Amino acid sequence: MAKSLTYANWDTLTEGTEREFTMGPLTRTDFVRFVGANGDFNPNHHDEIYAIRSGFDKIFAPGMLQGGYLGRLVSEWVGPSALRTFRLRFSSQAWPGDIVICRARVVRRFQDGDKRRVEIEAEAINQNGDALIKAHAVASPQP
Amino acid sequence: MPLDPAVLENEFTEFEFAVERGKIREFAIALGLKDPVHFDIGAARAAGYADLLAPPTFTRQFWHENDENDPMPHLGYDPKRRLHGEQEFEYHKPLVAGTLLRGNNVIISTREKEGRRGGKMTFVIIETRFLDESGELVQVARRTLIETAATPKEAE
Repeated sequence: MAKSLTYANWDTLTEGTEREFTMGPLTRTDFVRFVGANGDFNPNHHDEIYAIRSGFDKIFAPGMLQGGYLGRLVSEWVGPSALRTFRLRFSSQAWPGDIVICRARVVRRFQDGDKRRVEIEAEAINQNGDALIKAHAVASPQP
Repeated sequence: MPLDPAVLENEFTEFEFAVERGKIREFAIALGLKDPVHFDIGAARAAGYADLLAPPTFTRQFWHENDENDPMPHLGYDPKRRLHGEQEFEYHKPLVAGTLLRGNNVIISTREKEGRRGGKMTFVIIETRFLDESGELVQVARRTLIETAATPKEAE
């Protein structure tokens, strides 16, 4: 059996605690592998000629790829069933060759009745520091 | 193009979404997930799940969407100016392989805004509620679809 991950808990998820990883450089294969998994066959994500005719320089990543990276960052940190809400706001596109830096930070801890909650802000940026996605999560961490 | 108000009166049919082990693994690999609860049935069971656990963004799938159940093709959006602006998930219950989800889509809000370079931007929020076989709410997803005022080339 594969070794299980150890998740952060209420005590370790103090305000200001951060976590990050870097993905990429993104390849066209990364895009195709992902759209094969989720079924998003918008040609702008796999058909270079179509994307150019649509006014883009080349194909670009489906936003849910970088969005999924941020989901991974948060779920592997606090535990996947600790997540209560997760929101992604797409700012700009990611292109083949881009590096995607994913960062998350605990911004608030609070009690909701008898439930302990942490609020996390996350973002994905590229190698130039441009925002690709801003994300927000509320989680109920293990004690 | 301004949104045709008639679309708000449309009702979209319920759809089924079978959550399969292979698709969970494939999705998790595509995102580089390392947590074995998405790959290894032993690890998933040891963590208290009945089967492989779906990653947090798994329900934003396109396989089950078609003209009858999805509002998107009815919005009248120009595909060249269409953007996915936001995506939101509410988690009510762990989603595991073997679940047959039933979902349905509702347009919950629309608004128009003046674009920075002139022209109208149209925002539509589509809410999807996912229930399991016992009728329990598993997740709610909301996506904001935007039609921008100009195509990328025109905006240059």
